[in-house]
Amino acid sequence: MTFKRALCVGAAAVIMTMSTPGGANAQDASLDLVEPLARYKIYVATETAKLVKDTRAFTEAIKSGDIETAKALYAPTRTSYEKVEPIAELFADLDVSIDARADDYEKREADPSFTGFHRLEYGLWEEGSTAELGQYADRLMADVEELNGRILNLTFPPEIVVGGAAVLMEEVAATKISGEEDRYSHTDLWDFQANFEGAYKIFDLLRPLLEAQDAAFVATVERNFQDVYDVLKHYEDGDGGYVSYLKLTDGDRTILSAKVNTLAEDLSTLRGKLGLG
Amino acid sequence: MTQDTKPKTSGPRTNRRNLLLGLGGAGGALAALGAPGIARAAERQVADAPTDQTSTSDRVPFHGVHQAGVVTPRPASGIVAAFDLVAQRPDDLERMFRKLTERAVFLTGGGPVPELDPKLPPADSGILGPEIAPDNLTITVGLGAALFENRSWLTPLKPRQLTRMVQFPNDALDAARCHGDLSIQFCANLRDTCIHALRDILKNLPEFMVVRWVQEGDVPIVPPSPDGEHESARNFLGFRDGSANPDANDDALMQDLVWVGEADGEPAWAVGGTYQAVRIIRNFVERWDRTPLLEQEQIFGRKKASGAPLDGHKESDVPHYANDPEGEVTPLDAHIRLANPRTPEARQHLMLRRPFNYSNGITKSGQLDQGLLFIAYQADLEKGFIAVQNKLNGEPLEEYIKPVGGGYFYVLPGVRGPDDYLGRSLIEAVRATPDTAT
Repeated sequence: MTFKRALCVGAAAVIMTMSTPGGANAQDASLDLVEPLARYKIYVATETAKLVKDTRAFTEAIKSGDIETAKALYAPTRTSYEKVEPIAELFADLDVSIDARADDYEKREADPSFTGFHRLEYGLWEEGSTAELGQYADRLMADVEELNGRILNLTFPPEIVVGGAAVLMEEVAATKISGEEDRYSHTDLWDFQANFEGAYKIFDLLRPLLEAQDAAFVATVERNFQDVYDVLKHYEDGDGGYVSYLKLTDGDRTILSAKVNTLAEDLSTLRGKLGLG
Repeated sequence: MTQDTKPKTSGPRTNRRNLLLGLGGAGGALAALGAPGIARAAERQVADAPTDQTSTSDRVPFHGVHQAGVVTPRPASGIVAAFDLVAQRPDDLERMFRKLTERAVFLTGGGPVPELDPKLPPADSGILGPEIAPDNLTITVGLGAALFENRSWLTPLKPRQLTRMVQFPNDALDAARCHGDLSIQFCANLRDTCIHALRDILKNLPEFMVVRWVQEGDVPIVPPSPDGEHESARNFLGFRDGSANPDANDDALMQDLVWVGEADGEPAWAVGGTYQAVRIIRNFVERWDRTPLLEQEQIFGRKKASGAPLDGHKESDVPHYANDPEGEVTPLDAHIRLANPRTPEARQHLMLRRPFNYSNGITKSGQLDQGLLFIAYQADLEKGFIAVQNKLNGEPLEEYIKPVGGGYFYVLPGVRGPDDYLGRSLIEAVRATPDTAT
């Protein structure tokens, strides 16, 4: 088994647990991973910066009482968060504050701890008013800025990044395929696309390492991602976004669900394939 | 193959059966009094309560002209899972069938789980340990009407009577628990064996299928009574269920009532299969338990304690409705009288019932969500389940039951050997049909 050694800089910045002899497909993936990790960090930083910018526009619309603009900005603002969820989730306090859903709370929508995107979604679509939303908008803005600061100072753990592709698929499989994520706005397909893109980004960055040891695997995963994109294409709204999740046919939901489960199975082997514990 | 995976004759049970057959004078004499085709006492029947004479090394052969899990005596645990299939081309469907066959052969045969690099997810859920015991597991695969109707290359090959399950008057069907492209019935001694098999198939076939609904069930284990009588298991209404099942040990009878044959007018590929009717029937158990015993017995037409018909003394007694034309002993609308009036005409409506009891927690109203996972097999779905259910419509029992889910499926012919696979005859029929073999 040969590995293309990435031209690496700043290897010292990456803390690696050494793989145990004979127990891994890759003897020592640490150096190979330096470049993909560095590039992933840039990707995450770019998306997080965009999240800050978009959240500002979104929360300002809410605070100025402009419901229609706020509704239009809700789904596209979230996509940056959804793309980098494996990293964002590392900060559990912020993840709960930013992205928890009503059913994470015993009292559901009435729970005072229910904040973040979905509290605002509930206000915009269900309550139809921004009157109560100012405090939640401020909180979301502060949380997102805090997240941005923490991510900038984060050393990305390799197993989190590599495992992140599968984590995104698990997210979709466990809570998104049912349409419960964006249950008030039905903008779930935006989230889907972002989750898939975030997973694909990780896979794509690791592709040279994976191809060296299992080209058939890479081809299979690539095809499954393409199948997902082919389905999602049917639901584009012609304006850079997606139509309501309620428009998803049962047949397409079956295909998406199967692809998500298949990708979750395949991507769950990435850490092992790259010798990460 | 390791020692553990060899087919072992389950010693105790075999001995038990021999013993019972040796004692069979009484049972045989009683059977002779019974109507033809009614279960004889001494042989294990499909709906007999499972005995405690089982072992995890018990194995039901997977290969055969028919699939196992139909005329096989029902073990203590069962799951029906329904799936939606992704396959849009014959090649994909064939790949799915082959993969499903491969998993079923392994799971029903048992054996060691492959060991992988520990940095990878394990090959198996591990819930049965590193060595899979067959544990009487059967995996029985059926196809739903939707599979055929949504694929033009399959539509001409749909079994003649396979339809989407209709709503009967007393039904309150929950779409999330109905229908499907494919059904798999898992049965085993232990619940964990069924769950393990379900998880294995989900893990190994994610690209082909998405689970649509799952219903688990079980039946109580009852030691055979000292007189050698096997009793049918009780349902959650406390009554024995399956008492008048046709004799699953009578091959000719099964050929007639259960297995589709060449003369049945079904597509040639379907010969050797059978229709599976699955119904998730909720029982209003609190209300039932507040109903007078005499009324319960009148509703069923059987005595609750013994399972005997109201004019009989024990479960295997055959009711004589001809002596009771006004329904003074057994009401004319009693469940068992409506379902099987024991007339010559009624014989054509016999089906093989193989139900399990289920308990799903509670409903939104705070009542127990319990009931019957009804599973019945028949060669003629219209004459079997559908005709019987139509006779039962409006029965007094409806006050206490509410069918909420299920579906009709066509159980594929058996896998005849190591080179064969589930659905082969169907795939070959697709390929042999002009314009569809794409």
